[in-house]
Amino acid sequence: MNTKLKLTRGGFAWGDTSCNYHTGTWRVQRPQHEYRAAPCHASCPAGEDPQAYIALLDSGKPQQAWEELVSINPLPAITGRVCPHPCETGCNRGDYDQPLAIHSIERYLGDLAIEHDWAYPVTAPPADAPHIAVLGAGPAGLSAAWHCLRNGLQVTVFDEEAEAGGTLFTIPNYRLPDDVVRAETRRLLKAGINFTADFKLGREMNLDELQRRYAAVFLAPGVMKSSEWSIDGVTPRDLHQGLHLLKEWGDVGALPPMKTAVVIGGGNTAIDIARLLVRNGVDTHIIIHSSMPDPAHPLADDMRAMPREINQALEEGVKILNHHGIKRLLLRGEKVTGIEIIRMRKLPDDNGKLHRIAFDGTESILHVDQVIPAIGQIVDQQGMEDLVHGEHHIKVDAWGQVAGSENVFAGGDAIDGNGGTVTEAVGNGRMTAQAIAMKLKQQGLPVIEPPVVVHYENLNTEYFEPAPRAEQAVLPVAERVGETEIEAGLSVQQVEKETRRCFSCGSCLSCDNCWTLCPDNAVLKSKKMAADGSYYVFDYDYCKGCGLCAMECPTGYILMVEDI
Amino acid sequence: MNTEKNSAISIEQLRRNQPRFEGIKSGHRACLGCGQALAARLVTEAAGPDVVVANATGCLEIFTTPWPESAWHIPWMHSVFENAGAIASGMEAALKAQGKSTKVLAFGGDGGTFDIGFQAISGMLERGHNVLYVCFDNEAYMNTGIQRSSSTPHAAMTTTSPPGSERMGKRHLKKDILTIVAAHHIPYAATTSIAYPSDIRKKVRRAMDIEGPTFIHIHCPCPLGWGHDGANSIKVARLAVQTGLFPVIELERTELIGSMPIRHPKPVVEYLKMQQRFRHLFTTKDARAREELEHIQALADHNIKHFNLQGDTMDALDSDGADTVRRGGMRWA
Repeated sequence: MNTKLKLTRGGFAWGDTSCNYHTGTWRVQRPQHEYRAAPCHASCPAGEDPQAYIALLDSGKPQQAWEELVSINPLPAITGRVCPHPCETGCNRGDYDQPLAIHSIERYLGDLAIEHDWAYPVTAPPADAPHIAVLGAGPAGLSAAWHCLRNGLQVTVFDEEAEAGGTLFTIPNYRLPDDVVRAETRRLLKAGINFTADFKLGREMNLDELQRRYAAVFLAPGVMKSSEWSIDGVTPRDLHQGLHLLKEWGDVGALPPMKTAVVIGGGNTAIDIARLLVRNGVDTHIIIHSSMPDPAHPLADDMRAMPREINQALEEGVKILNHHGIKRLLLRGEKVTGIEIIRMRKLPDDNGKLHRIAFDGTESILHVDQVIPAIGQIVDQQGMEDLVHGEHHIKVDAWGQVAGSENVFAGGDAIDGNGGTVTEAVGNGRMTAQAIAMKLKQQGLPVIEPPVVVHYENLNTEYFEPAPRAEQAVLPVAERVGETEIEAGLSVQQVEKETRRCFSCGSCLSCDNCWTLCPDNAVLKSKKMAADGSYYVFDYDYCKGCGLCAMECPTGYILMVEDI
Repeated sequence: MNTEKNSAISIEQLRRNQPRFEGIKSGHRACLGCGQALAARLVTEAAGPDVVVANATGCLEIFTTPWPESAWHIPWMHSVFENAGAIASGMEAALKAQGKSTKVLAFGGDGGTFDIGFQAISGMLERGHNVLYVCFDNEAYMNTGIQRSSSTPHAAMTTTSPPGSERMGKRHLKKDILTIVAAHHIPYAATTSIAYPSDIRKKVRRAMDIEGPTFIHIHCPCPLGWGHDGANSIKVARLAVQTGLFPVIELERTELIGSMPIRHPKPVVEYLKMQQRFRHLFTTKDARAREELEHIQALADHNIKHFNLQGDTMDALDSDGADTVRRGGMRWA
């Protein structure tokens, strides 16, 4: 400032001099950037943060997006196809128009990585790093192995089969082609995971020996034994379990001869086997006492299979008798000729607990050649009898540690309380690998807290526009004959549009709203990312705490906190 | 974008390196959530550095220049209440005589534009000076303590139009200043709102490109005078547009050449109930309150019909689309 200049009192002031006065002193509340978990993130069993990789994809960085994705879930091409996507059920966009097609984006990135043969991003562990044994090369085992590697540990995966994939190969090709499983698992193994095929616990080695040789053991054997099934103690002589038939079809490509069949169960295995039978010309019913799922009005006793799969099964000619149960088997000798079915429902008792109630007088007869149970599977105990103690599943704590054992962990379908999805298995694997790494560093395992979630009410949706959800092309029913995959992936153009639909809940969208709308220029834009992960910095010297930025933040990323 | 995280970003350096031109700097004494402060920054940002400003008395003048300080980053002169138009005319003539192309802006509130300064503005328009006049309309004399102006909307409460046994707030209607100004046969006159910053910038740029008198009328909520939380200024401004009470339109030589369509007109009650200046329309069982609510709804419906505001399809530039955000802030361009 030129202080020599003589000026008339009150007649003149230098420009910008108001900056000497800090209006921040007026403030009683202060805006703050606060990351909160998007519901897609909070509801993902694998722990993915779709918002994060969608942001990178939207910014034109597909490979970085994929790397962000596989930093949590190493099998996106697989889960993108088979996951029941609770992320989309949770998606805040569902309250606005339609949820984001997150599973399609996930699949797109997975397929893109296969197409370009992108290497899994990890640095090789040091030669003297502890070595972890993983039993089972299904999704839980592969995920655990990958995350052990990411945590700087050496790892070897053992499996009974000749190649990695486990239960993924029992999912029919029209949903999940074997080629996709191979393309993804093989590339993953190349990241630095040792693989030992044809290994059966209790045959090649027993658990004690594994424990002695390795720093920790992760058990992910899956559930390869079918639950026992009978009607009042009666089972037909030529009984075939659903899982067994699927595996046989995968290995041999043939099914036992039958014209009509009834599948018992409402999970994905039941749907898979029913669709396979219909494809082979078998007139197929599914019998299940649960309700048909309706994503808009979920019920406690809904069928567990994915609504999308159920709809496609119905389209293809599978007949579903829901709210029905089997009362009696009609046998000619020991061979089934039909079943007596009865209407039943699961109804809550006085304490709200669901019980099956059959309704007398609603019995009818269904003539079938085969009764195929697909009511669930249990752990094959061989080699770990001391651990399972005759239970159907392995009992573990929240971090996957097997009770009473220092260095044995378990995950995937085999553990108690698992929902039986690929994604959940991937999540178990990741958490447990983290737990193993912390244990080996003599760190205690913290209590797992649920994240703070940003809800629809926390968003300002004035700043968004309705846009239709991208739908994957589906093969017409008439063409669904062989093994051809039914759903096609999204095109680049579709993905571009879809990523733009993301609300970016709870994270900075870099939309410039706060910077543009602050009446006091107290939001500064930065080229470098600030410590809080945004590109904006509050200038608390001048911020008066009006709260306008928080109100107009589309994603709920700005919170006002008391500041007196 | 640089993705490297940096905890030690220098605020001083950032302030100096903002990627926009700021005609008004921080430290001004506007109230929390002031719509006018925001509008003035957006206008100067779009008008750019090569301007001089004549500013009528009013909030803007007061809060930007608490002597011996000034928040202005551009040459700025305070006229008195009634003569911003005349001062701007003189500035323009002087610059013209010197052969300079610097654009003259004149700023006034609704008091200085609709009422006190009106004759000077009329003269400026009639003589065809190359001046962009911007009216920051907060619908009353807020600076002196919320007295009614001819811009105050019908039925609003001010200190000089209190509701009571005789009247339900202001008896008269809001003056249609835009049509009056346009009747001077000027090349460009437009309304806009702080809820749509890109619309403000677009219109300022358009006016800056025109040689001759132009007029932009910006709806600026006043948290203190209207009685709403400062955090809600944008929300209130947006509702004024979405209800049809503040039509966003453009006139060239009196012809309506453009309007921001309203995608889904909202009931005026949504706008009114956010503001204490209309609370007498909601807190009484008085039949007159109901009548006035219907009256205001009828005024909005009339605007929508008269200015053809009802949108028929989803338009990227309508009242719902014009503020859509994108990752990376592209929409504010």
